[in-house]
Amino acid sequence: MSAYDAIEGGKSAARPETSGWLARAIHRNGAGYLFLAPWLIGFFCLTLGPALVSLYLSFTDFDLLTSPEFVGAQNYVRMVTADAKFAAAIRVTLVYVALSVPLKLAFALAIAMVLNRGMRALPAYRAIFYLPSLLGTSVAIAVLWRQLFAADGFVNSLLATVGIEGPSWISNPNYSLYTLVVLSVWQFGSPMIIFLAGLRQIPADMYEAASLDGASSRRQFLRITLPLLSPVIFFNVVIQTIEAFKAFTPAFIISGGSGGPINSTLFYTLYLYQEAFSYFRMGYASALAWVLVIIIAIFTAFSFLTTKYWVHYDD
Amino acid sequence: MTSTRIDRRRLLGTGLAVAGLPLLGARRALAQEGGNIRMMWWGGDERARRTNSAIDRFTAAHPEVSVEAESMGWDDYWARLATQVAGGNAPDFIQMDYRYMFEYARRGAIRPLDEFLGEELKISDFGDVNLDSCSVDGKLYGGNVGVNSFSVIFDSAAWQEAGVEAPSFGTTWDGFAEKCAAFTEGNVSSRVHATADGSVQEGLFEVWLRTRGKALYAPDGTLGYDAEDAGAWFAYWAEMRKAGSCVPADVQALYKNSPETAPLVSGRSVTDFAYSNQFASYQLLVPKELSVVGAPVLDGGEPGQYLKPSQMFSISSTSDEPEIAARMINFLIREPEGAKLLGLDRGVPASPEIREAIIPDLDETGRKVVELISNLSPQIGALPPAPPQGAGEINAVQIRIAQEVAFEAVSPEDGGARLVDEAAAILERA
Repeated sequence: MSAYDAIEGGKSAARPETSGWLARAIHRNGAGYLFLAPWLIGFFCLTLGPALVSLYLSFTDFDLLTSPEFVGAQNYVRMVTADAKFAAAIRVTLVYVALSVPLKLAFALAIAMVLNRGMRALPAYRAIFYLPSLLGTSVAIAVLWRQLFAADGFVNSLLATVGIEGPSWISNPNYSLYTLVVLSVWQFGSPMIIFLAGLRQIPADMYEAASLDGASSRRQFLRITLPLLSPVIFFNVVIQTIEAFKAFTPAFIISGGSGGPINSTLFYTLYLYQEAFSYFRMGYASALAWVLVIIIAIFTAFSFLTTKYWVHYDD
Repeated sequence: MTSTRIDRRRLLGTGLAVAGLPLLGARRALAQEGGNIRMMWWGGDERARRTNSAIDRFTAAHPEVSVEAESMGWDDYWARLATQVAGGNAPDFIQMDYRYMFEYARRGAIRPLDEFLGEELKISDFGDVNLDSCSVDGKLYGGNVGVNSFSVIFDSAAWQEAGVEAPSFGTTWDGFAEKCAAFTEGNVSSRVHATADGSVQEGLFEVWLRTRGKALYAPDGTLGYDAEDAGAWFAYWAEMRKAGSCVPADVQALYKNSPETAPLVSGRSVTDFAYSNQFASYQLLVPKELSVVGAPVLDGGEPGQYLKPSQMFSISSTSDEPEIAARMINFLIREPEGAKLLGLDRGVPASPEIREAIIPDLDETGRKVVELISNLSPQIGALPPAPPQGAGEINAVQIRIAQEVAFEAVSPEDGGARLVDEAAAILERA
């Protein structure tokens, strides 16, 4: 019995007919809306409202201290015509997304397949592998990362034991972005859990039948695992791509907020933050935020459009 | 009695002491003095410790006043302050920086303090130059907490071991380069260099420009140097890098504008550059004894340095209790009791009387900083014109281009041209 039935059931029949769809809707689903209220209020006041205000601000020149001044599409025009830093931020972010998402998903899938072989103490392993994802976006991990990849850091100490003198990874523009990619791949926990759940849905007798027919394990992976897992892969690709576009903390901490050296870690969100909170161009920063929304929407829509070519649904 | 409006907020703010008073007339007099002050500053643990103990002393002497104090790092500070000002809940008592003072004052976010002069704020002995440096368009907007100047910090024992005389007051730029080259020759460790890479340091660049008769910014808010000056600056440091005198690019790139990340502190150089009020922080982080002198000079050049108001205390224009905030400013910068607790952490006090009062209590590190400020006199020039809007962004551009030159992505000459172009574009936009 649903909450609606429990509360409203039996009473509604006795009520006189009310006119108007709103009154009827409230009458019929009032309790439901009441239960939804905390979320609804939060959504309208704390998410949708500010989002709409930021849409307005994106057409203004606003420095926080004086009132916003309407400038039309100037912010958007500037972005695509006269802002080299915007171009740099887009480039860095795309490289980061293009590298970190496939690597992270491949790694997550590999670990999930190992864990799916039916090992003892699986929950313990699962928890251990998931741990980095819980810690991953925290400031502490970014600080740890800075220590690992510094000139005198752990990574170089390891390399030194085999006689290689490593560079200062995080402060060298040729490598700094890749240390952030590695950090992202290390946080493979949440896609791994989802992959693991997906793998368990694949009936074991399919593999048995395939082995009886003499299919190699590579062939089994390509012909059984990947197709049957494709809805889960699709889900992970979408979620991780959005996450990667939104990444902020690691670059902020590792570059000290500068996106340096030489803009090599200037994530889009970091550039947005700088414009907003270092240079107080709230109008421009709002425009940047909306462009990011559009970019993510395009990537997501594109992923959905491709599904008919590679995602197999059972039903 | 009916004409006396009982303000509930004030009543709450003054607390039980007021509530317990038998006479209403007396309440009125006290309520005017009592109140709650919100105070915000940027800085590290040491500053928080000193400031909190000074606040405690102030509230002990004025039990009717309560102070809510908050401190954070430099970057967070400006984001939070701007947000609070925009949201209409600015703190009453604001720690202000020379660069931001103009922006906040001209937008009406902080209030002029002239009406408190001689009353709550007795700082006339700071001198006209000092008071002018805290003024915008002829009005005083902040009480100067201390002056500082750009300086060279070094481990003198390390220089001695290398058999080279350490930099001193009056060392020229060429002389500095020669000393560093000599250090490199006498040096045994390839990891340790004579000096940090100064090309990213705006303060040092400014001194260098001023010795050449230029400046970061002209009085009309345009750029005070040209591509050739900037190119020569980057070229000077490119030479230093080539000679091994300064740290390589990837070591300097670890520096994030804080003592903890400086090459001197991580043991990669024996010399570094910083504002003089940071000297104590460097000394705390380095086990060896450090010395501090002025920045290099130019033979026959202009005096490059100036006494910068390192920080000031300002009052929000929306504060309900500006008199109390003004009295608190006075306590912290002009009364020995408060000023002694703050020490030199925010710079050397501007008042000669306060300076005298502080000196006996100073440790060795503090004495070196006071000595530096006195010894600098011959190298002190006029206060530079106010930095224009966008100056902070240009500082970030200088750091980026200095890195591009250091990593050899562009030549020093092109770097100079690029800096001037981008800076001009930023100034035009601001």
